[in-house]
Amino acid sequence: VRLCRCRCRTLLFRPAGRLRARRDLAAGPEMHFGFQTVTEEERREKIYQVFETVAKKYDVMNDSMTLGIHRVWKDILMHKMNPSPGTLLLDVAGGTGDIAFRFLNYVRSVRERQLQRKLKHHQNLSWQEIFESYQKDKFNSLGDSQVVICDINREMLKVGKQKAQHLGYSEGLSWVLGNAEELPFDNDKFDIYTIAFGIRNVTRIDLALQEAYRVLKPGGRFLCLEFSHVSNPLLSRLYDLYSFQVIPVLGEVIAGDWKSYQYLVESIRRFPPQEELKAMIEDAGFFKVDYENLNFGIVAIHSGFKL
Amino acid sequence: VRCQRYPPLRALQASATLRRVSDEHKKEPLTSSSQQHFDSPPAGHQPEQEPQGPRPSYTGQGGQESEDYESEEQLQHRILTAALEFVPEHGWTAEAIAEGAKTLGLSVAAAGMFHSDGSELILHFVSECNTKLSKLLEKEQKLVQLGEAEKKPIDEFLRHAVEARLRMLIPYIETWPQALSVLLLPRNIPSSLNLLTSMIDDIWHYAGDQSTDFNWYTRRAVLTGIYNTTELVMMQDSSPDFEDTWRFLENRVADAMAMSNTASQVQSTGEAVVQGLMGAAVTVSNTETSRAVR
Repeated sequence: VRLCRCRCRTLLFRPAGRLRARRDLAAGPEMHFGFQTVTEEERREKIYQVFETVAKKYDVMNDSMTLGIHRVWKDILMHKMNPSPGTLLLDVAGGTGDIAFRFLNYVRSVRERQLQRKLKHHQNLSWQEIFESYQKDKFNSLGDSQVVICDINREMLKVGKQKAQHLGYSEGLSWVLGNAEELPFDNDKFDIYTIAFGIRNVTRIDLALQEAYRVLKPGGRFLCLEFSHVSNPLLSRLYDLYSFQVIPVLGEVIAGDWKSYQYLVESIRRFPPQEELKAMIEDAGFFKVDYENLNFGIVAIHSGFKL
Repeated sequence: VRCQRYPPLRALQASATLRRVSDEHKKEPLTSSSQQHFDSPPAGHQPEQEPQGPRPSYTGQGGQESEDYESEEQLQHRILTAALEFVPEHGWTAEAIAEGAKTLGLSVAAAGMFHSDGSELILHFVSECNTKLSKLLEKEQKLVQLGEAEKKPIDEFLRHAVEARLRMLIPYIETWPQALSVLLLPRNIPSSLNLLTSMIDDIWHYAGDQSTDFNWYTRRAVLTGIYNTTELVMMQDSSPDFEDTWRFLENRVADAMAMSNTASQVQSTGEAVVQGLMGAAVTVSNTETSRAVR
């Protein structure tokens, strides 16, 4: 396993890759797996294996690679979402449940504030009535909000379920095994669809976007949190340096897996930049598509509405 | 105008709500080829209308673009209008907007289109009130022109206009202080100031102001002052039907009228004084010269 020293940000194929592609032409169209070229089927398999291997150390690696900043990114996503109680969220590629747990926390606190405000207005009711209304609302601390976590990888879901049990999240949570390109849900079901650091690993992004459009209710919102393109040249060089020199080493030291983290860094480079992803989302039929860069473009949040 | 890519495939994809909006909104400006489809009832014939309506021609890309662009804004307007009825309960917040979206059959996530502090809702409401006021004043002006009503003197007209405008706040008076504070946020000041000045301008226009000198600014500044102070008095007025507020308004308008009289009096007095001084100066100099000559 050699360290990839290539700093190319353009879509150049290595000659070895081209040879392999010609041999596998019968097996399907060419796709990128990091800086390699593979067929669609191979890509899906390889990505499945990557996440199978890293599942147990996924959260630890996230913290060490991003120096804990990924938590801030996910919090910002939650604030941008601003869900109200009663929202039905679909978290795709949500594996270990980070977004889902944050959603439940947010909705719970909003609901508490709502209840407090209602109680303040109940100044002139009798004690009996106040007691009754409090009882009724107490059992509804989430306000009927629900989150469905969908992931293609069984290992990631397993880790997520264990985490949920450990942290004490019991209600409002469902775990579904499914492929983002072909979701096992009916049309017009969800209020919000999120995919955090997952769309990069989807082989056919356009299919995933179309599925997102299908399962959202009219008025529903699509949110995508993903690594993206840094335009500032100085920062870009520092970022490349960090990505290619530090992250695979961390992967080897902490998770014992150099190759998976090499793939991670390469896949970030191959992902379409902000404007291109915005155009793809618009093509799927979403309106009011917009993106917000976090940390100068290291991460971007794309948002669109099904109108 | 935001440039969107409209490949042929997009026209065939059913946009869940916007097409419905454009079908129901019979007043929308559209190309003539799609006009005839509006006569048929919207719900049942929607699948037939969709491929034909918004896809007049690829040369008509500009028309198609602007039609969808308008629909988005109109949808937002509809959501905000529907949200207004939830304001007394939820305040001027994103929750009210979410409830409004629900009544239109949209998901609560549609409230994410707007800012989370409800500024757009308040600005929308203010702009709607201003439009209502303009229409009211225009109607009354027509009546006067047709001779069916008497032309009011200026102070009465101003009082009537400001009162009519402030009465529109009465259903939301409990939560209006919150709205005012949001309007004063630095982000919202340009828009709210814009709305305020155009409303004051409207009132003066219908009052018959045709000044072209510095008076134009003075009048608007004075009326803005009257309006803002009356609004603040209204916030903490607890008298039946806000009698105290209208009396306050009457006094302020009378003050303003008196002040303008005083101003012109001061000016004429000032002129008289200056003339007197000039005369005195001339007399003194004449006396000096005649003494020198003698």
